[in-house]
Amino acid sequence: MPASFEPPQVARPEQATGAVERVVILPKHLHARPAGQITQAAARHRATTIELTAGDRRANARSVLAVMGLGAVIGTEVRVITAGPDADAVADEVVDILRSPENDQ
Amino acid sequence: MVGIVLISHSSGLAAGAAELVAQIAGAARVIPAGGTDDGRLGTSTDRIAAAITAADSGDGILLIPDLGSSVLSALSLLADLDPQHDGKQIRLADAPFIEGAVAAAVAASAGLDLATVAHAAEEARDARKL
Repeated sequence: MPASFEPPQVARPEQATGAVERVVILPKHLHARPAGQITQAAARHRATTIELTAGDRRANARSVLAVMGLGAVIGTEVRVITAGPDADAVADEVVDILRSPENDQ
Repeated sequence: MVGIVLISHSSGLAAGAAELVAQIAGAARVIPAGGTDDGRLGTSTDRIAAAITAADSGDGILLIPDLGSSVLSALSLLADLDPQHDGKQIRLADAPFIEGAVAAAVAASAGLDLATVAHAAEEARDARKL
């Protein structure tokens, strides 16, 4: 139980299983290079599952082609859902890649 | 790191694919083996063998052929090596050329093993573009 004087946390059902969800509005297309970076991050954290959704599409971050197949263009709302060890830190890492404004190939 | 050899009839296609892959997975060791020794369209077992040597860093090599004689040349080269592939771990991927190369290189650059890198390439068969 958290101490009673901690700031109240927003209750989210997925917290019960350690899942973390973040939302990013893409500042760039989710093109090949950031997709590659996300899959490389997934490979570094193999015990953590990372899922991305855009509209009604879902991708396991372990597949670079599935991430590209989201077809997520600039301005798209992408949800990053992680579960497992370091779910928070892994979600941050993926969000940083999605938010990074560089590389526009 | 697992090395990747891209085998094509066209040296331009193999080199261009390797260049594209390097943009996405820069750390990967991707060696093109395209065209014949005298610069024509075709495949060369000598070029493939040289590319295997260049790609080898001790963790295995994945061969990704485009189609037709690229596949046959790779198969005949593997058949000519001794059963242990001269001590190298070599696998031939049944995968689409570009998509398989990108998926394999991303996996290889993350330090995954040969079986996982080969699986990443072969999973590309089922990837939808749209």
